[in-house]
Amino acid sequence: MKNSSLLTRGLASLFGLIVFILLWQLASGYYHQVILPSPMEVARSVVKLTVSGQLWEQGGQTIARGLAGFGLAVLIGLPLGLFIGLSPLISSLLRPLIVGLQVTPLVSWLLLAMIWLGFSKVPSFVVFVTTLPLIIINTIQGVKNIDAQLLQMAAVFQINRSRLFREIYLPQILPYLLAGVVTALGTTWKAVAMAEFLSVSTGVGARMAVARINLETADLFAWTFVLVALGLLTDRLLSHLVNKRLRHWM
Amino acid sequence: MIAFEHVHKTLGQTRVLHNFSLPAKKNEITCIIGPSGCGKTTILQLLAGLGHPDAGRITGIKGMRVSYVFQDPRLLLWKTVAQNIAFVLQDTVHPAKQQELIRKYLTMTGLYEYRDNFPKALSGGMKQRLALCRAFAYPHDLLLMDEPFKSLDTPLRLGLVRQVARMWQEKPRTVIFVTHEIMDALLLGHRIIVLSARPAAVLDDIRIDVPLAQRNVLQEPLPASHARLIALLEGENKKYFPDL
Repeated sequence: MKNSSLLTRGLASLFGLIVFILLWQLASGYYHQVILPSPMEVARSVVKLTVSGQLWEQGGQTIARGLAGFGLAVLIGLPLGLFIGLSPLISSLLRPLIVGLQVTPLVSWLLLAMIWLGFSKVPSFVVFVTTLPLIIINTIQGVKNIDAQLLQMAAVFQINRSRLFREIYLPQILPYLLAGVVTALGTTWKAVAMAEFLSVSTGVGARMAVARINLETADLFAWTFVLVALGLLTDRLLSHLVNKRLRHWM
Repeated sequence: MIAFEHVHKTLGQTRVLHNFSLPAKKNEITCIIGPSGCGKTTILQLLAGLGHPDAGRITGIKGMRVSYVFQDPRLLLWKTVAQNIAFVLQDTVHPAKQQELIRKYLTMTGLYEYRDNFPKALSGGMKQRLALCRAFAYPHDLLLMDEPFKSLDTPLRLGLVRQVARMWQEKPRTVIFVTHEIMDALLLGHRIIVLSARPAAVLDDIRIDVPLAQRNVLQEPLPASHARLIALLEGENKKYFPDL
């Protein structure tokens, strides 16, 4: 029963995808390929970029920059979120800063990073500042939802601080942190491409800029698919890891 | 002797204990019964150091290692059945002895075959039994039990009451046992303290001298104590429900 409903849903998704491609093919017949290339032309573009090695070279740079900014955000955001969650004083002190970080326009960060860090570090920095609040806020949420009754239990059985942190706090924060990581990684690929587009000459974002100038719209579509695939792949991979790790007790 | 001396405790706006005094002998099982919300749990929490009296003092508990069966199981859902017990033993019991204790108490409560399961896979009663195992296995001088058999069916409950009695006979320790079940109190208590509604005051203090191993709720003198307890609690209830 469960398997057959899964199959039906899978077939429905496939059907939706086929209808979308057919409509796209139909629409591309009415427009010049600079405006709307056909699915076939885009596929050809993807193959060309793959065979020439550009996909791996440029994609690799984008992934490295994205992960550097994202990794730094986790490294700094997790302990900061913990401190803020545990201490009302630090929370009052830093909350306005975090809200400020969240609402500052991306373009301001981009321009400031160009002035402060030079062009090459802009993409990683932009990823860092856009994902940091997501990690901090999710960690705070996790700390706020810690079961006080379990803390009481641990106090009676005289569990020391380091074990309390590792065995009571961390497991309860983990689901919130992982939810933050999934959202932040989704944001990472969008932010890194945008920053590359405006600041550097390598990476997927930069190749999109070149494709636009040369009116190679099929290439622009192909690079977009690369970013979409990257987003989907990391999302699926993380969801799988989360389910594997937490299914026993969530 | 453990004693509450003129203890006052207010939680929020509610005066839970007002000039409350209660002595409990060491290495005896003291049962506390009384109406819901009269402050029984507060008494246990103060003994466990999970709060302090607003006034008055509690004597005789300094340096005691306390174990506690809470009203709800309070298990770590990310640890298996065996790991939940190991969690409290890790810093207090030698590693070789830990496995022995885990096996002993899980077998005693019929949970040994579930040792590698996560709590999510257990029923409510099984979770409560695991909480009992954890408290029994933890090395303690004072055992606090807050309605530990609440969610269990009668045969299982009586079986566990017998196990607690046997454990106490093996190694007599101080036990404070809060319950609603008069039968449990009659089978386990060396002393039964009956409390009034909030703020709690001691209505009666019944001593039962029959050794635990010989207790049977159908034989004298327990039925007389049973009747006395029911009459007391009914009298208390009549204050609140005069029409009944």
